[in-house]
Amino acid sequence: MDIELSAEDLSFREEVRQFFSDNEYPAGEDYMTWRTQWFEKARQKGGWDVPKWPADFGGPGWTPTQHYIWEQETARASLPFDLPFGVGMLAPILMAYGNEEQQHRFLPDIRSRKVNWCQGYSEAGAGSDLANVKTKAVLSDDGTYYMVNGSKMWTTAAHMADWIFCLTRTDASGIKQKGITFLLFPMQQDGVEVKPIITLGGSHSVNSVYFTDVKVPVENRIGEEGKGWTYAKGLLQHERTGLAGLSGSLVALEKLKEQARSVTRGNGTLMDDPGYRAKVAELEIDLMAAEYTELRSLASASTGAAPGPESSILKLKGTEIQQRIQKLTVEAGGIYSAAWGSKPIGLPFARGGMGGYLASRAFTIYGGASEVQRDVIAKNVLGLKRSSK
Amino acid sequence: MNFDLSEEQRMIQESVARFIKDNYDLESRVASSAKDPGFNTDHWNTMAELGWLGLPFAESDGGFGGNQIDVMVVMEQFGKGLVLEPFLASIVMGGGALKRGGSESLKSEMLPGVIDGSRQLAFAYAEQQARFDLHDVTTTARQEGEAFVLNGQKSMVQNAETASQIVVSTRTSGGQVDEDGITLFLVDADADGITLDNFPTVDGLRASEIAIKDVSVSADRILGEVGRGFEILNAVANDAMLALGAEAVGTMEVLYKDTVAYTQEREQFGHPLSDFQVLQHRMVEMFIEYEQCKSMLYRATMEAVKGDPATAQKAIHGLKHLVGKYGFFIGENAVQLHGGMGVTEELRLGHYFKRLVVIDSMFGNADFHLQKFAA
Ligand SMILES: Cc1cc2nc3c(=O)[nH]c(=O)nc-3n(C[C@H](O)[C@H](O)[C@H](O)COP(=O)(O)OP(=O)(O)OC[C@H]3O[C@@H](n4cnc5c(N)ncnc54)[C@H](O)[C@@H]3O)c2cc1C
Repeated sequence: MDIELSAEDLSFREEVRQFFSDNEYPAGEDYMTWRTQWFEKARQKGGWDVPKWPADFGGPGWTPTQHYIWEQETARASLPFDLPFGVGMLAPILMAYGNEEQQHRFLPDIRSRKVNWCQGYSEAGAGSDLANVKTKAVLSDDGTYYMVNGSKMWTTAAHMADWIFCLTRTDASGIKQKGITFLLFPMQQDGVEVKPIITLGGSHSVNSVYFTDVKVPVENRIGEEGKGWTYAKGLLQHERTGLAGLSGSLVALEKLKEQARSVTRGNGTLMDDPGYRAKVAELEIDLMAAEYTELRSLASASTGAAPGPESSILKLKGTEIQQRIQKLTVEAGGIYSAAWGSKPIGLPFARGGMGGYLASRAFTIYGGASEVQRDVIAKNVLGLKRSSK
Repeated sequence: MNFDLSEEQRMIQESVARFIKDNYDLESRVASSAKDPGFNTDHWNTMAELGWLGLPFAESDGGFGGNQIDVMVVMEQFGKGLVLEPFLASIVMGGGALKRGGSESLKSEMLPGVIDGSRQLAFAYAEQQARFDLHDVTTTARQEGEAFVLNGQKSMVQNAETASQIVVSTRTSGGQVDEDGITLFLVDADADGITLDNFPTVDGLRASEIAIKDVSVSADRILGEVGRGFEILNAVANDAMLALGAEAVGTMEVLYKDTVAYTQEREQFGHPLSDFQVLQHRMVEMFIEYEQCKSMLYRATMEAVKGDPATAQKAIHGLKHLVGKYGFFIGENAVQLHGGMGVTEELRLGHYFKRLVVIDSMFGNADFHLQKFAA
């Protein structure tokens, strides 16, 4: 065991920092142009635009330590806005189960961020019980296309997406996990309708999506008909590892302390309040430990293994930490946390703090709700069986 | 020993409960909240007609001579409906200061309108640097002949937008955090030098920042004595915390019951969610903490009515601590157990949750009162 960064690691970190500072967003310039260029430059660095992709597919092939360094640095730098659906979720599936034609067709546009994807898994009746999807896909008589009918719910960014990857039901005769087929199709076409769902903070990020007689060519099916569940399950583990957000929490924790120091209380600030200080300290300790849990999981992943049960631990702990930071921000905001106008009142961080707190409640619901994550650990890690109930 | 409500209180409880049931579905609440003045004036008039606005005022002031128990009965039901009308701001807080500190002539000028609903009040006590300390006051009042001239700023004032008078805490002597030297004024909301910045709050209510610049207020508008306003301020804050505690308990009841009902309807993995033991236990905890809050509410309210002030004060700290802590606990878990539905604006539970979060931020949060209790 050794936690010293090697000379190569230190110079890698320098290089990453240099890259970030050389490519900061120049205020006033067109954001989308800068964004496209940023990813292009990162690509030229040798796959820095897709850090988690394997080297065979153009990823950087970093060591676990390099991944860790990257994570740490990205949280501090301001990177272009990115959605996880294409690069982080669909791409690994395409690499593992897509055919060569599909890889060539989809991966380049995913990589350049030219095409935005959304994840069409959940439905009204298929949340935690994802295998319960009912959206129907029927193969045409000539075997050239599927006809898709049904609806998805909670689809993040569907209103901004060009394409959707979708779990559909092609066979309802056997057990639920069988008979699910994984399809890809464009969102901008007749028969696809998107309706917003407004969440607690008053914002619109999730949607209901309705399909009426949507024709999907068989070339857009990943793998075999009826095997979609297997493909999706592998992907879920990828999604979960991405959701812990520890390096983001490290930065958020620093910001939290800074905010607390800006809040006056008696003769001092909120950071002099013993009760508040203790809660911040507890949080910091949990985060320190979780960082090493993540490192340990990275190290084992470097042997080539798929993300394992650690990803469930990380998702649980990481999202809980994020929620605690948000709650402490609301506490720091005090009376001003209630203000909900178009501009901040009293304390500059309070308005965003409440918005962040409310949004954070979903962190323990999506990507596998916490109760279900604990089931996964109970079953797969502790080897516990449940009685029939 | 007797925890039963009086016949009269029971009747009030039933009538408020019926009113909520008939008028306070989520859709109408959202609509009233969005429209000026941010609540339903017909409802407000109904509350006056049914006598609720007069409950905590002495019969000699034109009220019904009720006490904190009567207010508790009303507020608990209001919590179940997430009532928007300014009962807390105008009756419990503004009216509470006026009834305690107003001269007979000021009371007879003001209170009839407060009780019949035609006159609304607000209570401006918070300042930015003070965080939750009532006695940290920098707004000044300087005597000039028969009048005082006020300067300063007040924060997060509820109902200032519709109030005709605002109770303002000021410093007339002493240091910034001294309890002595605080003076309360009943200021006309339209007085020269009062500027309001109005905004919505996250729970669907409204509040204002108030800038006070060279506002001249006549000495007969002082509530209580010059320099002795803290006693009134603190008494009003205590009443407000009891009222908020009652509201929170009503709100929690809706949240835990909605969760119990939802998990019985919603099926995943071929079972109602309520079959899963981990969820059952979570709901049991929500229920237990709700009951604990209710017990503490009763305890604090009865101490306030009967007990000695120090004991009552401690119980009120305890109450505000508990409803803050378990408000978050019950609210967050109600959301969690509803899954994605919990984070939508579509179901009422999210709105109830947000109200509990705001209640914690008023008059000192759970941490603040834990430390006060321990002190
Ligand atoms: C903001 C947000 C964004 C989302 N984005 C997407 C997206 O882009 N694409 C997509 O496909 N989906 C998305 N989802 C859906 C998300 O994956 C589901 O909400 C999640 O799987 C939970 O399902 P549910 O909401 O139906 O809750 P339910 O499954 O009904 O669960 C409700 C509660 O019951 C608990 N529970 C369920 N089963 C059990 C059990 N067996 N034992 C114990 N407890 C249990 C849960 O933990 C939860 O607390 C999103 C959701 C949200 C809130």
